[in-house]
Amino acid sequence: MSLSHFQAEFEKMMNRDYFSSSIHPMRNEAFSKFNECGFPTQKWEDWQFTNLTSLQKDTFRISELKDGPTQKIDLSPFHIDNVANIVIYNGHFQKDISHFPSGINLMSGLDYLESKEWKYNNTYDSPFDLLNTAFMDSGMSVVIDENMTINTPIHMVFISNSNEPLMVNPRVHIDVGDSSSATFIEHHVGVSSSFFENGSIFINLEQNAQLNHIRIQSNSTKTISMANIQAEQSLDSKYTFFQYADGGQLGRLNMVTRLNGEGADCNLNGLALSKNNQHLDHHIITDHRVPHCTSSQNFKSILQDKSTGVFCGRTIVREQAQKTDSKQSNKNLLLSKNALMNSNPQLEIYADDVKCSHGSTTGELDHEALFYLRSRGIDMMEAKNLLTRGFANEIMNAIRHNCTRSFIDTKFKHWLGDEV
Amino acid sequence: MLNIKSLKASIDGKPILKGINLNIKPGEMHAIMGLNGSGKSTLANIITGRDCYDVSDGDVIYKGDSLLEKSPETRALEGIFMSFQYPVVIPGVNLTYFLKAALNAHRKHRGEEELDAMRFLKFIREKIKQVEIDEKYLKRAVNEGFSGGEKKRNEILQMITLEPSLSILDETDSGLDIDALKIVANGVNQYRNKDNSFLVITHYQRLLNYLKPDFVHVLIDGVIVKSGDMTLAHKLEEKGYGWLES
Ligand SMILES: Nc1ncnc2c1ncn2[C@@H]1O[C@H](COP(=O)(O)OP(=O)(O)O)[C@@H](O)[C@H]1O
Ligand SMILES: [Mg+2]
Repeated sequence: MSLSHFQAEFEKMMNRDYFSSSIHPMRNEAFSKFNECGFPTQKWEDWQFTNLTSLQKDTFRISELKDGPTQKIDLSPFHIDNVANIVIYNGHFQKDISHFPSGINLMSGLDYLESKEWKYNNTYDSPFDLLNTAFMDSGMSVVIDENMTINTPIHMVFISNSNEPLMVNPRVHIDVGDSSSATFIEHHVGVSSSFFENGSIFINLEQNAQLNHIRIQSNSTKTISMANIQAEQSLDSKYTFFQYADGGQLGRLNMVTRLNGEGADCNLNGLALSKNNQHLDHHIITDHRVPHCTSSQNFKSILQDKSTGVFCGRTIVREQAQKTDSKQSNKNLLLSKNALMNSNPQLEIYADDVKCSHGSTTGELDHEALFYLRSRGIDMMEAKNLLTRGFANEIMNAIRHNCTRSFIDTKFKHWLGDEV
Repeated sequence: MLNIKSLKASIDGKPILKGINLNIKPGEMHAIMGLNGSGKSTLANIITGRDCYDVSDGDVIYKGDSLLEKSPETRALEGIFMSFQYPVVIPGVNLTYFLKAALNAHRKHRGEEELDAMRFLKFIREKIKQVEIDEKYLKRAVNEGFSGGEKKRNEILQMITLEPSLSILDETDSGLDIDALKIVANGVNQYRNKDNSFLVITHYQRLLNYLKPDFVHVLIDGVIVKSGDMTLAHKLEEKGYGWLES
C-alpha cells in the first residue's frame, strides 16, 4: 500500500462528518509526521526481522458505516465468564450489546482526547502510533477515579468481518486513578479475508493504582495486527500484562512501559503460538527511570510449520534507578525443523546497585522427556502435547483472572489439536 | 516372558553389547551386576525401546513376539516397565496428570474403563502410601524438586500403578539411604508374584539382600561372563570383578 493511497484514505477520514473537526489539527500533525518517517523497513534496527511488504500488497480502505454488522452478532465464541463486554465491530462501537461496570467512565477516544485538550504524552510515538492518531476511528477510553476497585473485568471485543481489505485504528486510553484497580481484557477476533488492525493503547497508572491487562490476539490468519502499547507508572503502581497470541498473518506487539515512580512494579508476560507461515513479533521495552522498582519480562513462543517469531526485549536501567530488581526470560519451543525464532533479550544498565537477570533458550521438545512419557504407555502425539502443554503451563499462571485463564487454556488445547 | 538371543548393539558405530543371551521366565527375578560402562543401561534401554542404538544382530522376544520393531508405548502397554537410572524432570506437567494419563492409556489398552479425576485420586492415594510419598508431591511437576531418593520412589510408584509383567530396575538403589532402600525393596517385594518378572540392574549386593533374586549375571564389556545365584553376588561383593576378567 503506497503512501499516496494512505493520503487518499486520510482525506476520506478528514471528510467524515460524524467525527468532530476539532480533532483535525491533531490528525494532520500526526499524519505529516508519519509521512516524514514512512513505514519502517528492515533496515531499521527494530524491524530487521519483520517484513512489512504485506502491508503494501492490499489497498486497505477505512471502515465505513456500511461495514457495520448486518445481523445480530453471535458473541458465544468469545464468551468469557464474569466480564462486562464492550463490542466493536469493524471499527464500529456496538452500544446495544455493550455493558460496562459501574465506577468507570467510558468514552470514545475522541471524547477522551477532547477532555485532555488534544494532548497526550506522545514523546515515544512510533510510526504506527502516528498512523493511529491520524486514522483513529474506534476503541473506547476508560477513566477510573481514585479509590475505586473495579471487580468486573472490562472485556473489549474487537471483531473484524469483511471480504474487502479494511483498516481499523482502535484507540484506547486507560487512566487508573490513585489507589484504584481494574482488569482490562482486549480480545481481537475475526474472519476477515484481509485486514489491517493498528491499535494504540495508552495507559496511565497513578500512585498505588493497579491494572491487570490481558490481550488475546486471535485475529484471522489474513490479518496484519499491530499492537502499540505504552504505559506510564507512578509511585507504587502495579501493572501486569499477559498476551496470548495465536492469530494474524503478521502480529507485532510494540510495548513500552516506563517506571516513573519509586516502588512501581511491572510484569509483562506472553505466550505466542504460530503455525503455517505466521509471523509473531514482540518488541518490549521496560524503562526503569527511578530507584526501587521491580519488573519482569517473561515471554514464550511455540512455533510449528514454517512459522517465525521474534522476541526483542530490552530492559533499561537509568543511572538514577538504583536498587532496580528486574528479570527477563524468553523461552521458545520449535515443533518443526522449519520454524525460526529470533530471540534477543537485552539489558541496558547504567546504575551500579541493581539486581538484573536475563536468559533465553530456543529448542525442540526434550527427547529424554518424550521417551520417558512414551515408556509409560503414553503415545507419541499425546506425549508431545503433554510436553508442549507443560512448556506453556508455567506462563499461564501469569493470567490473573481465572475465567480468562480457562478460556485461554481451552483455546490453547484447540490450537494443539487436543480433544477438549 | 523375555528371551534375549545373541543381542549385539552399538551406538555411533561403537559396539556396546556383544552377544547377550538371557531368558527370563514368568515370576523370576534376574539380577545383572557389572561395572560402570559395561552396557547394563544399554540393555535396559533396548528392551524398552529407546531408539538411539543400532541392533546389528540377535533378537529380543517378549511373550512370543519380537520387540525390536515396536514403539516404546506399545511395549509399555504390553507390560514392560523400566525404572530409570536417571528419572527425567518434566517441567509444567503435574505428577497426578501424568500418572493418570499413563494409567488410563494402560486401562484403555486392557479394555477397561478409564478412571475419572475423582476415582483416580482415590486410587493413587492408596498407592503413594506403599512407597511413602507425601501427597503434596502429586501436585508438583513430574520429578521437579524431588530428591534422588524421591525420584526413585516415584519410579516404583509408577511401577505399582501400571502393574507391568516385566519390570526392569536400572540402578534403582544407587544413591539411596538405608530407609529409602527398604521402601523401594518393600515396594518391589509386595508387587512380586508368580506371574511378574524382574530384571534388576545394580552395582551392589545391598538391594539384592532384600530382594533375593533367583539368578545373578555378571556383565563385563557387553558380554555376560558368568551366571549363578545369590552366592555369585556375595562373591562379587567380597572379591570385586577382577577375578572374572580374562
Ligand atoms: N547415548 C550415548 N552416546 C554415546 N555413548 C553411549 C551412550 N549411552 C551409552 N554409551 C556408552 O555405552 C557404554 C555403556 O553404557 P551404559 O549402557 O550406560 O553402561 P552401564 O549402564 O553399565 O553403566 C559406555 O561406554 C557409554 O559411554
Ligand atoms: Mg547404567
